[in-house]
Amino acid sequence: MFGYVRPPLDLLPTEEQERFRRAYCGLCHTLRRRCGLPARFILNYDFTFLAILLSGGEEPETRCERCVASPLKKRTCCGEHPALDLAADESVILAYWQARDGVSDHGFWKGLKYRGAALALRGGYRKAAAARPEFDRVTREQLDRLAELEREKSSSLDAPADAFAQILAAAADEAEDGPLRRILHQLLYHLGRWVYLTDAADDLKEDALSGNYNPLIYRYGLTDGAWTPESREAFTKTLDHSVRLLATAYELWDFGCWTPILEKTVYTGLFQVGKAVLSGTYRAGKSARKKDRKVEETT
Amino acid sequence: MNDPYQVLGVPESASDAEVKKAYLELARKYHPDNYHDNPLADLAQEKMKEINAAYEEVSKRRGSGRSSGASRSSSGYGGYSGGYGYGAGGSARQSSQSSVLQQVRMAVNSGDLSRAEALLANYADHNAEWNFLRGAVCYRRGWLDEARRYYETATRMDPGNREYRQALEFMDNAGTSAYSPQGGFGMEQCGNAGLCQQLCCTYLLCNGCGLGFRCL
Repeated sequence: MFGYVRPPLDLLPTEEQERFRRAYCGLCHTLRRRCGLPARFILNYDFTFLAILLSGGEEPETRCERCVASPLKKRTCCGEHPALDLAADESVILAYWQARDGVSDHGFWKGLKYRGAALALRGGYRKAAAARPEFDRVTREQLDRLAELEREKSSSLDAPADAFAQILAAAADEAEDGPLRRILHQLLYHLGRWVYLTDAADDLKEDALSGNYNPLIYRYGLTDGAWTPESREAFTKTLDHSVRLLATAYELWDFGCWTPILEKTVYTGLFQVGKAVLSGTYRAGKSARKKDRKVEETT
Repeated sequence: MNDPYQVLGVPESASDAEVKKAYLELARKYHPDNYHDNPLADLAQEKMKEINAAYEEVSKRRGSGRSSGASRSSSGYGGYSGGYGYGAGGSARQSSQSSVLQQVRMAVNSGDLSRAEALLANYADHNAEWNFLRGAVCYRRGWLDEARRYYETATRMDPGNREYRQALEFMDNAGTSAYSPQGGFGMEQCGNAGLCQQLCCTYLLCNGCGLGFRCL
């Protein structure tokens, strides 16, 4: 995915920041264990968030491990947990098919990096897909649907967003049957819708210049890639509405120790990111955040 | 039943006022208006029942005299009874002009969206109600942008219809009435939480489901 779903760590106490880092590290170790070394490089905050949601409120036991980012000092991280396994498998499946899509969307030279990524992930993907055949099927089906909508230059916001949202919603379907599955399905659907639309807004200018498909151009007639006040307002509303629906789903389950992180992400973090993307400050902050993360990983 | 104090999230030593505050906060969170046409409305309803029962139990244990009369069983707010949604029974809800559209309403209510869609696809007269119901199906599916457009068309075709107008207003407020811990939330934050709450109440009182703040 794209890294838009991020808890506002600066607003959280150190204890909660640590807890989030443990999940992040735990997912990284799980990816390597289940899907091989290259799979570690797809790790991001979105997938960590997914793992936390899938845990349904349990905190996996912690253990101490060394890793590339911290070769000398052992750090505590989440140990093995079915939710981490599931999130790792699903992340690899999604990343693999997105890379494959990148190959077919680009010419030979530009497609090289996607080809490389797909190749590196292939071994891990095979294992993950064997473990989660249904999620693999839905991902492929919906990405095909998305490609079809892009080809026909669909002027609908909801249709392409739905294709992506269905993939995330399917991530919940591997969970045990019951209220949690229904809650996660709805929550992840709107998270997926939000991620897709936020990404479209983030790429709007670039796509308008390059001629790549972007639903916002066709839905609001923004051929020059600049928002009009009306289109921006309408878009903000539909984006906010998804977050609110996501929040109503979130409130129906007790996520235990993850509550402070999830609550801050749902009620503050997503809006901050959405606002930054729409005002154009998100891209400017991207490189700064990368630096932050490096610091974070090496401390 | 679970420990009522645990359900309300307060210690047993909490004062009556604290219990009531916790109860109101939870009731605001799981209020039916926050789950209007939401596929998880039934789960919210269960939560609401649990909270009402817990509050009643605590009030009973503490003796009805102490809790300023709020302990009567009817004091719970946010009952789901009565025609909530697009059902035939809602007193303020318009009943359909055609039996097919009536069936669509029932299908939407029961969550059978595929059936609702099939019925709508075979209905040739794309009148105001047809557009409204298409919007309702889209909304349930999470197709919020298209839902708004159908509600808008319905309102344009029949400007006097309260049901259509309310649905459109709800979309235009982008679900602002929804619960959030800090009051108003969103990219275009309401500067004034009081106003948000007022809007919430307005929507709540005029949705014709017989819901309201009772004995509070």
